[in-house]
Amino acid sequence: MKFGKRLKQQIEQSLPGWQDNFLSYKELKKLVRLISSSSSLSLSEAEFVYLLNNEMEKFNAFFLEQEEDFVIRHKELRQRIERVIERWGPNGTRPSHLEYRKEMAKIRKEIVNFHGEMVLLVNYSNINYTGLAKILKKYDKRTGRVLRLPFIQKVLQQPFFTTDLISKLVKDCETTLETVFPPSEPARKSRAAGMQAAALPPGEGIFRNTVAALLTMHEIRRGSSTYSHFSLPPLNLPDFDVIQSLQLLSPIQIP
Amino acid sequence: MEAKPALSIQRSGASQISNFGASGALSSSFPVRPTPLEETYPKNSDSRHIPLERDLTRRPSAVVSPLSSNSGVVGHIFSTSSGYSTDLHFSSGQQQEKLPRQSPFISQSTNSGISVTLPHSVDSRVLQSTASSHFNKENNDSWCTDPLPDFLDFPMTTIIQNSQLDGSNMGGIAIPSEELSKPNDWQDWADQLISDNDDLTTDWNGLLADPSATDPGSKASYQISPQSTNISMQQPHISQQLPGTPGEICTGAGQSSSANAAPAKQRMRWTPELHEAFVEAVNKLGGSERATPKGVLKLMKVEGLTIYHVKSHLQKYRTARYKAETTEESSETKPASLEDLSSLDLKTGIDITEALRLQMEVQKRLHEQLEIQRNLQLRIEEQGKYLQMMFEKQCKSGMDLLKGGSSTSENPQEPIDTVQNSSAKDKLRAELENKETDGEPADTAKTSGETSQRAGEKQKTLEAEVPENPEASAGCTSESSPKKRAKVDV
Repeated sequence: MKFGKRLKQQIEQSLPGWQDNFLSYKELKKLVRLISSSSSLSLSEAEFVYLLNNEMEKFNAFFLEQEEDFVIRHKELRQRIERVIERWGPNGTRPSHLEYRKEMAKIRKEIVNFHGEMVLLVNYSNINYTGLAKILKKYDKRTGRVLRLPFIQKVLQQPFFTTDLISKLVKDCETTLETVFPPSEPARKSRAAGMQAAALPPGEGIFRNTVAALLTMHEIRRGSSTYSHFSLPPLNLPDFDVIQSLQLLSPIQIP
Repeated sequence: MEAKPALSIQRSGASQISNFGASGALSSSFPVRPTPLEETYPKNSDSRHIPLERDLTRRPSAVVSPLSSNSGVVGHIFSTSSGYSTDLHFSSGQQQEKLPRQSPFISQSTNSGISVTLPHSVDSRVLQSTASSHFNKENNDSWCTDPLPDFLDFPMTTIIQNSQLDGSNMGGIAIPSEELSKPNDWQDWADQLISDNDDLTTDWNGLLADPSATDPGSKASYQISPQSTNISMQQPHISQQLPGTPGEICTGAGQSSSANAAPAKQRMRWTPELHEAFVEAVNKLGGSERATPKGVLKLMKVEGLTIYHVKSHLQKYRTARYKAETTEESSETKPASLEDLSSLDLKTGIDITEALRLQMEVQKRLHEQLEIQRNLQLRIEEQGKYLQMMFEKQCKSGMDLLKGGSSTSENPQEPIDTVQNSSAKDKLRAELENKETDGEPADTAKTSGETSQRAGEKQKTLEAEVPENPEASAGCTSESSPKKRAKVDV
C-alpha cells in the first residue's frame, strides 16, 4: 500500500483543479483482486483494459488541456518581457528604472510559478505512469497473464507521457530567467534568507507541492519488497535533508 | 461473478463489453472506448514538414488515397477508441473515392477519399475493428489473440506507416522495435486481414515476433525524442501551411456520451508553432477581442483544425491576455511614490528574490529527477520487451525441453539466462551508468559509485527475475504458467 498512500498524499497536496485527475489507484487495485477470482478471464481482462483506457483518457484530456494553457502562457510571458524591455529599455536604462524593476519582479515571480506548474505537470504524468505500471504488474502477478508488457508500450506513447514539449518549455523558462535576471549574489548566504521567506507562493501551493513531489519520488524509489529489473533504482538526491526541512517551514506569504 | 468496481463503467450489460470489438452498431450510451490512442498521439514539437503530395507519388504501396481537398474534419477523426465512431465520422459526409489496391478492406468500415494522413489511422483502425471483431468471436485464450492485439498492433502499424511515409527521419521512433526493415509488412498485414480468421490469429504471432526481431540492432530510438516527429500522422496536412511544427490532433472523446458528437471533441495538441500561427491570425483580424473563431480558422488554414478547437483556444487566449493586461495596468497606474517604497522594497525584495531562487532550485531539481526517471522507465521497458522477445524465441525452441524435463522448471531457463541475460544486464547496467552520470554531472564521483552498486543490485534482481519471464513466454503452454509462478515468485 506504500505507493497508494504516497499517491494519496501527493493528490492531497496537489493544486486544486488537479486532484480529480489522478489515477484511481486504489479502485484499480481492488479490481485486480476481484478479477483473479472471476471466472471468465478474457472478459474481465477486457473490462480491465477498458478501465485502464478510460484512466488514460482522463490523463490525456487533463494533460493536453494544461499543456495548451502552458503554451499560451509561455508566449504571453515572453511578450510581456519584450514589452517591458521595449518600454523601459534593457535593464531599465530609460527613465523609470524602478518601474522596470517592479514589472520585472512581477514577471519573474510569474515565470517561477509558471515553471513550477509545468514541472508539476511532468510530475503528474510520471506518477500516473508509475501507478499504471504498478497496477499492471499486480494484474500480471494475480492472473498470471501477460498484460503488462504490451500495455505499457501503449502507455509510453500516450500524450500524457510524452512530456517533451513541456520539458522544453521548462528549460526555456530557466534560460529566460538566467538571461533576464542574471544571478548576482553568492548563493550561500542569501539562501538562508531565502529559506526564511520561502514557503508558499500566494494561494497556490506550488512550492509546497513541488517539495512534496520530490520527497514522494524519493520514497517511492527507496526500494521495495518486489524489486525487479523493472524497478527504478533509488533516487539520488544530494540535498535531501534540505528539501525535507523545506517541508516543515511554516508558510509565509510572498507578497 | 462479476466485479463491480467503484469506477463507473457505463455499459448496459456484460454483452456490450464483449461486443466492443465487433464492428457494427454502437449504442450511444456506450462510451467510446479509447483503445487506439497511440496512433493518434504523435510526437510534438519540432516535427518536420512533409509535403504530402511527394509522399503520395513516392509510396504507391503505402495505403494512401489521393489527397482530397476536403474539410477540416479530417485527420483526427480516427477518434478514440472504437472503430464505430470512426465509421460514423467517415460516413458523415466524406467523399467516396477508391483507394488504390486497398479498397477491399478500407471500404469495409470507412469511406475513402479522406486526406492522406488518414489512411494510416484508417487502416490501423480498420485493422483493429476487423481484427478485434474476429478475435472476439474467436474468443481464444492465447493471449495474442485477445483484445490485446487491438492495441498491440497499433504501434507497429503506426510506425510502419510513418516509416514508409517519411523516408527522411526515423531517428526517434517511439517504439524502437519497429525500426523497419520490411516496408512491405503493411501490405502483408492488409492482405492477411482480408483472409480468414485462422490465418489472422497465427499471423499475429508472426507479426509480433518479426518486427521485434529487428530490434536488437536499433538503439537510437529508445526515447520518445522530439525528433520522432513523424509518428504524427496529421502533420503532413497541417504543415503545408505552417512554417514549423503544426499542432497535432489527438483523439480523445473523453467522457463524451455519444460517438456522434465526437468531431467536436477531438483533442488538439497545441504546439508553440501552431499557437504562433494562431496569434498571427488573431492579430491580423484585429486582436483577440475582435477576432472570431471562424475568421481565425479560415486564416490559419490548418487542416484538421476545427472551429471548436479554435473557439476554445481563443477563449483561453483571451483569458490569458486579460490577466496579463490587468496586472500590467495596475502597476502602471500606481503613482510614483517610488522613493518611499524603494527602500522598503529593498529588504523584502531581496528576501523575495531569494525565496524565488530557492523555489526555482527545488523545481529544477524535481524536473531533473523526473527526466532521469522517465528515461530510465523508457529504457527499462525497452529492455523488458527485448527480453520478452528473446524468451519467446527460446520458448519455442525450449518447448521440447519443457515437455521432456518436467521435473525442473529450470531447464529452458539456463540457456536463456546465460546468453541473453548477461548481455541484457550489461546493456542495462551500461545505460544506467550513462544515464546517471549524464543526468547529474555535478555528482559524478558519488553517482558512479552508487551506480555500480545499483547496477549490481539490478543484476542480482535481474537474475532472480529471469525465472519469471519464461513463464510469460510459457504462456504458450498456458497450463504450466500458474504453477511456475507460484514456484518462482518469492
